[in-house]
Order: sequence, then C-alpha cells, then structure tokens
Amino acid sequence: MAAVIARLALWTALCLALPAPWTQAVAQATDIQVKAAFLYKFGAFVEWPQQTFAEPGTAFTIGVLGADAVAAELEQISAGRNVHGRPIAVRRLKRGDLVSGLHVLFVGQGEAARLAEVLRAAKAQPLLVVTDAADGLPEGSVINFVPVENKLRFDIAVATAERMQLRISSRLLAVARKVVPG
Amino acid sequence: MNAGRRRSVQQKLIGMVLVSTMAAVLIAIAAMVLYDLRLYHTGWIADVTTQAELLGRTSGPALAFDDPRAARENLELLRYRSEVRAAAIYDAKGRLFASYAPAAGTQFPSLPEGDGVRVEGDNLILFKRVVGESEILGTVYLRTSYALYNRLYGYLGIGVAAGLLSLLVAYALSRRLQRGVTEPLRAIGAVARKVSHERDYALRVQKLTPDEIGDLADAFNAMLAEIERATAGLQASNRELEREVRERGRAEGEVLRLNAELEQRVRERTAQLEYTNRELESFCYAVSHDLRSPLRAIDGFSQALLQDCAPQLPADGQRFLQRIHAATVRMGQLIEDLLTLSKVSRGELTKVEVDLSDLARHVGADLAQREPGREVEVMVWEDMRPEADPRLLRAALENLIGNAWKFTSKAEHARIEIGCLRDGRRATYFVRDNGVGFDMAYADKLFGAFQRLHSESEFSGTGIGLATVQRIVHRHGGRIWADAAPGKGATFFFTLAPEVDASRERDAVAA
Repeated sequence: MAAVIARLALWTALCLALPAPWTQAVAQATDIQVKAAFLYKFGAFVEWPQQTFAEPGTAFTIGVLGADAVAAELEQISAGRNVHGRPIAVRRLKRGDLVSGLHVLFVGQGEAARLAEVLRAAKAQPLLVVTDAADGLPEGSVINFVPVENKLRFDIAVATAERMQLRISSRLLAVARKVVPG
Repeated sequence: MNAGRRRSVQQKLIGMVLVSTMAAVLIAIAAMVLYDLRLYHTGWIADVTTQAELLGRTSGPALAFDDPRAARENLELLRYRSEVRAAAIYDAKGRLFASYAPAAGTQFPSLPEGDGVRVEGDNLILFKRVVGESEILGTVYLRTSYALYNRLYGYLGIGVAAGLLSLLVAYALSRRLQRGVTEPLRAIGAVARKVSHERDYALRVQKLTPDEIGDLADAFNAMLAEIERATAGLQASNRELEREVRERGRAEGEVLRLNAELEQRVRERTAQLEYTNRELESFCYAVSHDLRSPLRAIDGFSQALLQDCAPQLPADGQRFLQRIHAATVRMGQLIEDLLTLSKVSRGELTKVEVDLSDLARHVGADLAQREPGREVEVMVWEDMRPEADPRLLRAALENLIGNAWKFTSKAEHARIEIGCLRDGRRATYFVRDNGVGFDMAYADKLFGAFQRLHSESEFSGTGIGLATVQRIVHRHGGRIWADAAPGKGATFFFTLAPEVDASRERDAVAA
C-alpha cells in the first residue's frame, strides 16, 4: 500500500511539474492504458455462447485492429490475468486478416472507416465489437468509447449485442454512458 | 425469643417465594437478553455484511470502468437505511472513489483496511473487498450504528420493571397461598403453648390439612394422648405411694410410742426394784447388825454358865451348853457373811491396778496358817494385774480360794491353781481345785444365797460365799461361771470388766 501511495505521489508531482506538451503526452499514454484495461474488463460482464469456446483450454482472444499502442499495452497488462477462467490472448490484426476465433475486436480510430467491411466478414460469429468512433455508435458496433470530461466512458448498443448472440450484464449497462436499445 | 429478630414461618415462606421468583425472573430475563443481544449482534453484522457485499457487487463495474458517479449513485441508495452513518468505496489503489454520509462533515478513513468487522463504541465499522474476475477492484467501507448497548439498557429497564411486577404479584399470591401452610402450623403451635402452660394434656390439635403438617398434628395428638395416659398412671401411683408413706409413718409413730411407753415402764420398774432392793439390803444389814448384840449376850452368858457353874451342871447340861456355844459361833459367822454381802452391795467402787497374784498368795498363806495340819499345793500364775477394787477383789478371792481349800480337804494331794486366760484384751481368771466337785445339773443354783450343794456335816459353810463373789464380779461388770464334775474337782471362771462387743473388738484391733 505504501508503494502505491508513493507512486501516486510521484505521478501527481510529475503531472504538476512537467510542461504542457509533456502532460499531453502523459494524458495520451493514460488514455491508451485505460482503453486497454477496459477491453479486457468488458469480458467479465459479457456472456458468449457456449460453442465459441470449443475446447476447455481455448484462450479468451482479443483482436486489435488499427491501434498498436493499445495492443501493446493490452499484451502487457493481460499477462497472467483471466477472463471467465481463461487466459487472455491478444492478436494484432492487419487489414484483411480473418476475425474468426476472436471474442473481442477493437477497431481503432485509424481503421474506423473500414469497420463495415470488417464486420461483414465477422457477421457469422458472436463477436464483441468495440469501437473508438468520435461521432457516435457506428453500425455493427456493440460498445463505443466516448471521452467525457477527461474520463473514458462508453455507450452500448443492446440490440446489436443480441444480434451477435451476446448477453451483456446489467451491471455493465449500469455504468455505460448511454444504452442504445434496438 | 426476641420478637423483633424472630422471623415467622410465614415471613420465611414469603421470602423464599420472593427470592426464588426473583431468581427465576432474573435468570429468564438475562437468558432472553443474552439471546436477543447475540441475535442482534450476529444478525446486524450479517445484515451490514450483506449490504457491503451488495454494494461491492453493484459497484464492481463502476470501479472497473472508473465511474465514480455510478458508484456514488449506488451509495446514495443507502439513504433509506437510517442506521448507515457513513459509506465509501475505495479503488484498488486505496484512493477514496465514492462516498456517502447523511450528516455533513463526516470523516472517512484516509485508507481502507482489510476485510473485517469491528465495533467502536456505538459504531459498527466494516471493510469489504470488492473482487473482480481475478483481481481486487476496491474496498467498500460501511459505518453504521450499533445499538447493542441501547438495547441492553432498554432490556435492563424492562427487566427491572418485570422483576418488580413479578415480585409484587408473587408477594400477593404467596401471602394468600402460604396460609395453607402456616395456619395449621400456627394452630399446632398454639395448642403446644397452651399445653405447656396449663399442663392440660386433654387438649388436641385440629387436623386442618391431609399433608405432612396434618401428619405432624396427628403425631402431636398421639404424643399428647400418650403423655395424658402416662401422667394419669403416674399420678395414681404417686397417690398410692403417698398413702403408703402416710400409713408407714403412722405405724412407725405407733411403734415409737409403744417403745417409749415400754422404756418408761422398764425405768419405773427398775427404779421400784432398785428401791426395794436397797430397802431389803439396808433391812438385811440392820437386822444382821442388830442380831449381833443379842447373840453376843447368849454366847457370853452360856460361856459364863459353863465356866462358873460347871460343877453344878449335869453332863447333859454341859453338853447342851457346848452345843449352844457352837450354834452361836455358827450364827455369828452367818451374820458376818451377811454383813459382808451387804457391804459388797453398798459403798463406792474404787478401781485401781491390783496385783491379783500377790493377793492370791496372801490368801493362800492365811489359809495355811489357819490350818497348819493340811498339805495343800497352792499354785499362783505370775503377773496378773487387773483393774479392780482391792478390798472387794480380796473378799472374792478369799471366798473362792477358801471354797477350794475346803472342798479339797478329802483329796489325797490337794492342789489349787489360780491363773488367767487371755483372749485378745479380755482376761478370764480362774480358780481350779481337785476337790470333790459337783454335778453340773445344779450349776444354776450355785450362786444363790443360802444354796448349798453339800451337807453341813460334810463341809462347813454358810452358803453365802458364792453369792457374795457373784455380787462383786457383777459390780465390776464381769461374769462368773463354773465347770465341774463330781469327784473331779471344780473350776470357777470370772472376768472383771464388761465384755466388749465382738464386732467392736474387731474394729479396735483393726484400728
């Protein structure tokens, strides 16, 4: 606990002492960290159909498209963590890669335009699609990140999730900024 | 029996009921209170823990997705629980994430603690970790009221009130109920007191209840009946005894009166006899004394006639005068003896130590001098010294030794022995001869005056000697008796002091 306090104090001191471009860089860094954390934490509040985990040892796989920084952060924090009792695997996707075997797909802002194409390929399987679109929940996305007052929040499209055969916990819905029905 | 300190059975019974009631009420209340407080404690902790768990569950996503607003909204729901004084959620790093307090200015711990529940005064403080899939998300903090002591004080109040009420009811009830016990006891006690005061054993206790006290009453009545019976018997036998004692007393009085009468009569007779005896003795003395002068005249004139007128008298006349002379001599002797007897009876008895041996030898010598022709062996034991009157003892010895001398005159080797047999302190003297003796059939006549066992012609004598000896021995308080057989001599025994009672003698020896 003492170590945590010390680190907090350090962080605070750094934030206050560093010049503006530095703080901006730090803010960007924390934004990536938060997104990565959210990505694996969503898994605990979402239920996938049984067949998506064919074998007992199947890893909980998160695909990241167009957000390498997030993927790197995710790889770092997911090591040794579990979702639904399964180890976490992170897969960096390139344009045109198959999305089969994924449980979560994060599409970064850079690939937002290609979202529809990606989703078409994924149409057949249950997939929790998380986007980072600035202009509201895109078609086919289940969760979309929304920055609110220096904090990262998210909207949830329940109807899309149902189409994807996903069950989203009401507890997750309770902390969503907006829940979009239908 | 101090009335102030004495506690009646009634008070004791009531006291017992009150104490046991109080104890029962107190124990029951204590048990109930303990049970309730324990229930409250565990129940309340479970309740608060559940609350914290729920908060943790609902706030888990808020923590996971860094949404303090949602967490705060969850906490806000606690406003319906008035017992909650403060609630907070800390994030995984220990920072205060969200908080709720109904009162302004509520302080929150700066850092969360591990899982746990504790009581601080009237606060229940609980920390509960919020755990996600595989990590700690944060900590729920809850501070609620803890009303255990308030409840305890409330129960104490109820306990005191219930205790007092039950005491009151128990007192009222036992006052009524104890009468069934104390009334019969009091009745027995009253009868017992009356019996002991009035000694009236005819009283009976009324049996009021068919229980142990009733049995006591029965036993008491049976005892009273027994005492009544025994007392009656005792009184009857007492009356009988009293009557017997009275009768015996009367009989004793009669005996005493008769005895006294007899003694009086004996005294009177004795006095009469003594008087008559003295009269007779003085008469005898006077007669004997007065007879001497006419006798002397008869003797003198008959002598004168024989000497002066012998030639004128025929031979027969001379012989008659001789016989007159012999008769007067004998009569003179008789008168002398009678006077001796009288003197022995009269006059003072002066007891001194007398040398009896010496006296006996003198008497023997006198006799030998008077009859020089006789050969008599007189043997006197040495050292006989009784306490006696010397004059009277000499008279007695003269008579006894004189008799022995006389009755041995026909013996071939005359022998007289004077000795003494000692038996303890008693001395029995004897005078023994080997003379003619006598038949013991006449022994009772031996000591009477003028009693003779031998004819005058055989042995001379007046028949007064032994009577005189007996009188002398009697005056010393002694006894005289004889042992003899015809032709084998005679022995006369005498004592000179009253015979001491055999038992008194033994006592003296023992002492």
